[in-house]
Amino acid sequence: MNKISTPKELPEYSESIVNTVREPLIIMDQHLRVITASRSFYDFFRAEPKDTIGKLIYNLGNNQWDIPKLRELLETILPQKTSFDDYKVEHDFTTIGWRTMLLNARQVERSQSNDRIILLSIEDITERNAIQEGLVKANKELEILTKDLVKAAQVKSEFLANMSHELRTPLNSINGFSEVLYDETFGTLNEKQKQYVKNVLVSGNHLLLLINEILDMAKVEAGKMTLTVTELPIKEILYEISGLIKDAANKKNLKMVIDISTYLKNIQADSLKIKQILYNLLSNAIKFTPDGGEIGIKATQTDTETHIVIWDTGIGIALENIEKIFEGFFRIETPYSRVTEGTGLGLPIAKKLVELHRGKLKVESEGNEKGTSVHIILPIKHITTVIRDENKNSHS
Amino acid sequence: MKTKIVIVDDNANNLLLEKDLLIVAGFEVHTAVNANDAIQLIKEVKPQVIVLDVQLPDISGAELARILRSSIDTVSTPIVFVTASVLQSDIDHLLSIPDSAYISKPINTRTFSKQVSQCIK
Repeated sequence: MNKISTPKELPEYSESIVNTVREPLIIMDQHLRVITASRSFYDFFRAEPKDTIGKLIYNLGNNQWDIPKLRELLETILPQKTSFDDYKVEHDFTTIGWRTMLLNARQVERSQSNDRIILLSIEDITERNAIQEGLVKANKELEILTKDLVKAAQVKSEFLANMSHELRTPLNSINGFSEVLYDETFGTLNEKQKQYVKNVLVSGNHLLLLINEILDMAKVEAGKMTLTVTELPIKEILYEISGLIKDAANKKNLKMVIDISTYLKNIQADSLKIKQILYNLLSNAIKFTPDGGEIGIKATQTDTETHIVIWDTGIGIALENIEKIFEGFFRIETPYSRVTEGTGLGLPIAKKLVELHRGKLKVESEGNEKGTSVHIILPIKHITTVIRDENKNSHS
Repeated sequence: MKTKIVIVDDNANNLLLEKDLLIVAGFEVHTAVNANDAIQLIKEVKPQVIVLDVQLPDISGAELARILRSSIDTVSTPIVFVTASVLQSDIDHLLSIPDSAYISKPINTRTFSKQVSQCIK
């Protein structure tokens, strides 16, 4: 072999350039013998300059580099095209294992002679490939999971709708016949009979309330509860609902403190749901306040929000329970309320309904026997434009 | 002459309850437990209003209603569906039948007969 180039023949600056390249880079003469290699090449392939320089590329690392695809590249493609880009080669190296590489090569004529040098850069994409494959796989798994979740939510909603339907049919008999008996439509009952049939009716109605509230809860959770938003005279509604619960409050000798600002503007909200929320919270206030206590409604407005507080001087909520009351079916043991009076779902539903209005519901209590305040903040202008109530079950 | 009503329901208890309530309210009540019998009965009785359970053993109440609407005798006889469904889509489907109304289950025994009579023309 004549005129083998040595690193000394390369100007110093080109040596520096070679060493600053992050990707492994080899420079060969036209006979495919290595003239020099970058520091990154030695690092990456765990090679030494003494075993590299002057060697035929295929002989590097005990002939590890005798890769058929590389031969094809350097001996067939390069002489014709003088360059190639991103040529993908996979190879199992004894030193560094299985690698996927992108090869880029340039054939350069040297100015002083007819010799050519070949620059070969090697980009290791093994990890990038693995990451990409992992991403594709993760994406597919995520897609399947999303589909499963959507399906599960759908199955749950369907199940609850069916359950509700199936339970209503026997309840129709239970409530219907006991109501007819209680009303003495077909003859008078004695006192005990009347009391017993009333017990059946009360339990039946409680069961119906439970079914309705479970269904409400499921609808809200499945995102199937939508709002029928209209312009609401919130001031009138607050007075209306206070009027509805007045009798129940009187029965327990509760003092009702009504403090509703005279300047309340109309708000955009769902009339039935706002009434449901207020009725629920006021019923709770009555239920959990012992005889002779106080309950109250306070309502004020800012330019953008209505702030309603429903408070009582009742049994309050222990601090450790303040989160639990939103979980559903949580009920505070109390000597003032009978088991049949509630479902424990009223407050969680009220919270969800307030949130559906883009509002906030917060419960405050300083602990047992210290009363409770429920704060509701409702925006005056409704933000989304959902018009129809998907699942309202009512008849005229 | 009493107003004639046909009730169609396969649930014996519900049928009895509705029948009793409507008799007490002064109607002449006839009953059927499936759609096939109902078609025959309605032809004979010529009721002023039909009370239909939505789930019948042979065909659905809605299908029965459509069959009734295709007959000249019952093309505009008011139909009151009694349904335990809570899905608005189901209810919309029922109300798309002309001259129909619905009452949800469980029924209110104190207002049931009034709700039915309101549908009579």
